[in-house]
Amino acid sequence: MIEAIVAGLMALLTPQAILFMFIGVIYGLVIGILPGLGGVVAMALLLPFTYGFETAATLALLLGAHIATIWGDSVTSILFSVPGSAKGLALCFDGYPMTKKGQAKRALAASATGALMGGIIGAIFLALCIPLIRPVILALGPSEYLMMALWGLTVIATFSEGSLMKGLTASVLGVLVAFIGMDVVTATPRFTFGNEFLMEGISFPVAMIGLFAVSEMMKLAIKGTPIVDRSLVKEESTVWQGVRDAFSHWWLVVRSSFLGLWIGVLPGVGASVAGLAAYAQAAQTSKTPERFGKGAVEGVIAPDATMGANEGGGLMPTLAFGIPGGESMAILLVAFIGLGVVPGPEMLTKNLDLVFSMVWIIVIANIAVTVIGLGITPWLARLPSLQANLMVPIVLGVCFVGAYATRGYIEDVVVAAVFGVAGYLMDKYRYSRANFVIGMVLAVMIERNLHISLTLYGRDFLLERPIALAMLLFVVVTAALPFVRNWLRKRKQAAAGVTS
Amino acid sequence: MSRHTQENLASVFLLVVFAGVIWMCQDFGPRARMVPQPLAIFGIVLTLIQLAWHNFGSPSEYQMDMISVQAPDIPVAEVLDVPVKKASWLREAAAYGMIAVLLGLTFVTGVMPAAFLFTAGYFMVTRYCSWQLSLVYAAVMTGSLYLLFVVALQMQPYHGLLAPLFP
Repeated sequence: MIEAIVAGLMALLTPQAILFMFIGVIYGLVIGILPGLGGVVAMALLLPFTYGFETAATLALLLGAHIATIWGDSVTSILFSVPGSAKGLALCFDGYPMTKKGQAKRALAASATGALMGGIIGAIFLALCIPLIRPVILALGPSEYLMMALWGLTVIATFSEGSLMKGLTASVLGVLVAFIGMDVVTATPRFTFGNEFLMEGISFPVAMIGLFAVSEMMKLAIKGTPIVDRSLVKEESTVWQGVRDAFSHWWLVVRSSFLGLWIGVLPGVGASVAGLAAYAQAAQTSKTPERFGKGAVEGVIAPDATMGANEGGGLMPTLAFGIPGGESMAILLVAFIGLGVVPGPEMLTKNLDLVFSMVWIIVIANIAVTVIGLGITPWLARLPSLQANLMVPIVLGVCFVGAYATRGYIEDVVVAAVFGVAGYLMDKYRYSRANFVIGMVLAVMIERNLHISLTLYGRDFLLERPIALAMLLFVVVTAALPFVRNWLRKRKQAAAGVTS
Repeated sequence: MSRHTQENLASVFLLVVFAGVIWMCQDFGPRARMVPQPLAIFGIVLTLIQLAWHNFGSPSEYQMDMISVQAPDIPVAEVLDVPVKKASWLREAAAYGMIAVLLGLTFVTGVMPAAFLFTAGYFMVTRYCSWQLSLVYAAVMTGSLYLLFVVALQMQPYHGLLAPLFP
């Protein structure tokens, strides 16, 4: 264990890893600060660069960028009330009023320090949980993994915003798209229409570039307005005020961090819900809830601490079970596949040093983001407005070249374009793109473990594996829960209507 | 076309996709269709329920989240207070066209020249800057991409359909 901790750190001390971490953090901050481009887009655009380098360095690049986008997202929420992505929404509620009151520096500093503290708590949790979860993972077989993947798929869909049916449909579509190509078990070409290119299947990174980056650029082009169009009031606060705020509200930070961890461990919930849930608990537990929504610094600290800790929690199911904790974790899984790293039991045995490298990356990247963030805070307040017309062609150019570079097939550019249009339409009609991607990632796990279970235990494998059967029941209950809750809520409302 | 009709059309399209999957699955062996076929059937069931709820149910029946969060009473319009032009079908068609143009350019001229032409053209068409500056920005962007992908990552660029004309 100690050896793995040291080896994990040493892997990050190579010149390549340090350089990649630095590039990742800077890049993530820039992408995060650009409204409309969140951590998912940042990681999707980086995927073509992840082949052929040291594994630890590649992870430093991806995770470093992702962690930096968390705070980057908060910046535009606080300064302009324009969330960089859905997870930054909670920061608008009190961050923006603070800016309007001339306390932008204080809000930004409190946000960065809160995220740092949350991130470190998340990393510590991840490190502490590894020895506890290892025996559990080693006791699980293919049938249990199959059920876990099914659970991941249903829970992701049921936790997703909006229509449950659309969430599940998107997951099903994602799974089916992942089946395009040669079936490794039966050597049957599926859904290839006789096309040689499709025999190799749809490349995950290319699909994600299309689904997230290309579709976001389409949205931006359609909107056609300057992304940020705000003039700021005179600044009166200081950076140190914000740092002090985060430390003086340490109990709020701890509570919010544990909330972020818990939400992160639940597959598919993600930081968007985490931020809002943290805000809600901060407001509900405050002695002066009336200050919330009017510029309370606790309303900034809580969401950022939660989102920082969310990463450690999200990595847990991703690494241990191969079930992504959210869309960014799904992209990380894609990178793992590219690097030849298999999440699951092997991750906590053969690749334990890699797991600890990730723990270290979370800590170091969080520190780097906070140091850089606090340093640039005074200038961020003067952030110039960025025109959509500047971003669209540049990002689209990078997307198409990146899609081609992934495998060197020109057809991949077509795939990126098709998925871009599909992503735009999915977003327009509220079919969750995250569910689609997570479905794509879990498809292989579902099919492989089903075939292995059938080979090992026969058709009645569920009866042979009682834990798997119990897990299946759990899957059914989890999927049915929203319906039951909805029915109960309606009954309660009807009863209240009769009484009044 | 109303949003309601569009949603219905999307559902019908999905039904066709799932039905197509089931039809194609008939050509596979039992093991190869073991997962996709039941999934496609499940997809059809989901889409039919979605269609039914959309047309005959109340919106609250299909808007179900397992975590309910009490956000403060800040109007959405105030939170996202950016002047947004109405996304007309024309702008949407232009966005599709933009993707088609970039795709076409990529096939005809190759990856890097397409990035240059598209960027420069986009700046000029949207009048983001003068044509001279457009060319400079596009050249800088394409040069950076070339350094990154071709020089650093040793990507073999695709030269496009016109390449045989310039041996």
